[in-house]
Amino acid sequence: MNIQLVFLLFAIVGNSLLGLFTFYKNPKSSTNKLFSLFTLFLNSYLILNYLSLNQISDEATLFWIRAVMSNAVILGLLFYFLAKTFPKKELIVSRQQLILSLVAATILFFLTQTDLIFQGYEHETNNPIPGKAIGLFAVYTLIFLSGGFIELALKLKNSTTIERIQTRLFIYGTILMFTLILTTNFFFVVVFKMTFLVGLLPLYTLVFVGFVSYAIIRHRFLDIRLIVARAVAYVFLLLFIGLGYIAFLFDVAILLNNERPTRQTVQDLILPAVIALLFAMSFQPLRRFFEKITDRFLYKDRYDSNSVLWDLSRIMASTLNLSELSKKILEKLLSSVKINYGAIVLMRHSSIIWVGGAGDISGRPFKGKNIYELVHASNKSQNEKENILIFEELAESNTKKTMREHNITVVLPLIVRKELIGGILLGEKSSGEIYSSEDIDLLKIFAPEVAVAVKNALSYDEIKRFNITLEEEVKRATEKLRKANTKLKELDILKDEFVSIASHELRTPMTAIKSYLWMAINQPEQEIKAQLKKYLEISYASTERLIRLVNDMLTVSRIERNKIDLKLQVINVCEIVQMVYDELKISADEKHIDFKLLGCADKRYNINADKEKMREVFQNIVGNALKFTPEKGKITIDIKMSGTDKVAIEITDTGPGIQKEDLSKLFQKFSRLEYSYAKHSSTPGTGLGLYISKKIVGLHNGDITVESEVGAGAAFSVILSVVSNKPASNENEEKGKKSKEVK
Amino acid sequence: MTDQKIKAAKKILVVEDEEYIRDLYVQLLQKEGYLVESAVDGEEAYMKMSKKDYDLILLDIILPKIDGLQILEKFKKEKKELSSPVVLLTNLSQEVVVAKAVDYGVRGYMVKSDLTPYDILREVDGYLNGKHVNTQLK
Repeated sequence: MNIQLVFLLFAIVGNSLLGLFTFYKNPKSSTNKLFSLFTLFLNSYLILNYLSLNQISDEATLFWIRAVMSNAVILGLLFYFLAKTFPKKELIVSRQQLILSLVAATILFFLTQTDLIFQGYEHETNNPIPGKAIGLFAVYTLIFLSGGFIELALKLKNSTTIERIQTRLFIYGTILMFTLILTTNFFFVVVFKMTFLVGLLPLYTLVFVGFVSYAIIRHRFLDIRLIVARAVAYVFLLLFIGLGYIAFLFDVAILLNNERPTRQTVQDLILPAVIALLFAMSFQPLRRFFEKITDRFLYKDRYDSNSVLWDLSRIMASTLNLSELSKKILEKLLSSVKINYGAIVLMRHSSIIWVGGAGDISGRPFKGKNIYELVHASNKSQNEKENILIFEELAESNTKKTMREHNITVVLPLIVRKELIGGILLGEKSSGEIYSSEDIDLLKIFAPEVAVAVKNALSYDEIKRFNITLEEEVKRATEKLRKANTKLKELDILKDEFVSIASHELRTPMTAIKSYLWMAINQPEQEIKAQLKKYLEISYASTERLIRLVNDMLTVSRIERNKIDLKLQVINVCEIVQMVYDELKISADEKHIDFKLLGCADKRYNINADKEKMREVFQNIVGNALKFTPEKGKITIDIKMSGTDKVAIEITDTGPGIQKEDLSKLFQKFSRLEYSYAKHSSTPGTGLGLYISKKIVGLHNGDITVESEVGAGAAFSVILSVVSNKPASNENEEKGKKSKEVK
Repeated sequence: MTDQKIKAAKKILVVEDEEYIRDLYVQLLQKEGYLVESAVDGEEAYMKMSKKDYDLILLDIILPKIDGLQILEKFKKEKKELSSPVVLLTNLSQEVVVAKAVDYGVRGYMVKSDLTPYDILREVDGYLNGKHVNTQLK
């Protein structure tokens, strides 16, 4: 049993272990696949190399040497591919490159089996005799090895944190291996002529494999503790099974042969022992392999990314309520991927505005500046798809510290239209395992969808809240208006009362004055002097005027507050005008005025009007005419149809007329027509009469117009609608029409 | 005088808080030969109205203690028969209270300031003897 064989076996076991382990961690990744393949060929290389060194015949030696060369061709190719792809999941070799390298490798692979590379073996020098094309092999190896190194060097230069660390590890492993080979297999041999360390070569490959394996696995995968713990446990298991089996075989052999153990016995046992070790080694991967197959049937503990994403999409589509949405999403995610807790935080204006969690989040408020900064840190990467923070991958930093403090393992940013709206914080996996690449892929697909859903929910929430605010605002405003309205109503009532009471209070003393003056003037017992009587009469007239003014103001106040209630009735307008005419006829006669009422003799003009109010109107207008028309003048009231459905009551006088400028002022409150008042009015009015008249006629949907010229008198027209279809007055109406026709 | 004696049979109650006006109406009506009583506030008026029948009550509205309409309301509430005819004689503008007044069975509504003493005597005569009056409520 030579030491070289021990080293060889150890290296093979180690390489195989690391190769399988790496493959198992992420079977889909090209890097992992290439690496496993590389370790496989490395092992076969070591075995072939060992065999080539331990042959008795030259032919056999040459055969194994050629096999070693062929193997080296494949190794060179794999090294280059590995260096180029590392540490990505996809194979980064262009089609052209792939075909070219494969063709080159295939050609060389067959060349190594011919005389062109090695034509023979020189027994004396223990060296193979190089063939004609040995240079080709050297060039091939040089190209692929240096190509691999260049790729690694470029990667080191261009990569970011984690990839940089990985690349560095790869390079360290490679450099260390070559340094060791150079030291022991060249330097020691050439300089010190020491060859006993040459057999260590397999171990150097183990160093290289170890470094690269760790570099690959480290990416996104294991905490070093877990690797070590697993590896140690595995080694113990292997040793236990292997040694136990060997011991057992040993004992059986002794028992069977019934003799003392010899060197031969031991040597005979080596092969079964190796096989036993291999069995032990293959047990775990095989168990996993079969578990995986059975899992696929029974879905035990595993999830299907597509169905999880589908479920999540359905949840996101089904609810707009933010709390419910986040709870449902997280619960589904946590139960599928088996994470112990998760939280969604939303941010605005450099602070966290909302946190929704699921799972075991007791005592984790996820608020504050450091969480805000953490979420921001997750959005640092240029490539949106790489925006994720994973605890194990981070170099020691504040971010990592925050994650450790809050026990956060993964942070994903939530981005909507390039705006960071918040983040997803996830705890450890319940199994204590690290997040697999499958998990990470799922999360990366899932995060943007969540971002949109959450943003929508947030907008919906805001609109809802805005609606509530608006509703409250409207309610408040309505309440205010209601109060103001109530107050106004109260004020209105108070004003009504005030006007009523004020006029009442004014009238009371005036009643006393008026009545006593009347008594004084009309007392029959005593004769009073003419002069005194005149004074009393002036006082009486003034009091009357004052009372009229109060009455008019009361009316104006009512008109302006729309407090006039018209007691409408269908009435012949002639009836009203006749009353007024009769009333004023005496005064007209006193002034020897030619006072006529025309158009009423045999006609009816039915109007819908408040009799009393209309009477006031005519009293006013005709009274004015009477007032301004000088003695022996003429006043005519003419009633006739105006158009088909209107009646016009026209009052013309031969008074002084009204100046053009004054016409517009005529119907205003307290209008002062200086010309007429100064010269012609002996009994001044209240200045409200025409204003009130116009308003009252307006309330009857009629109008008052005036035409006048100075010196040519004035003509007032009151125009009112005629009621035509009143059944009660139909007959009269007919009569009226007939008489009109006759006329 | 015989004419005046016939008139004297008619009893009139003047409810008026304003002294000068009350005196005026009382004198005026007495001169005409009516038997006139007066009340200076709502309470007194109510007392007199419930105790005694009158041929005519001239009732002011704005009164101390109980106002004119409240007196009428009281009668209506207590379902007491108010056999005496009531005419409101007031300075309060008509529109405010006229609806209620009709409801209480008031016969007429006179605005003091619009009427001369002569007008009042004529109206009173009209109400008492069923003649035409200008201030009757419909």
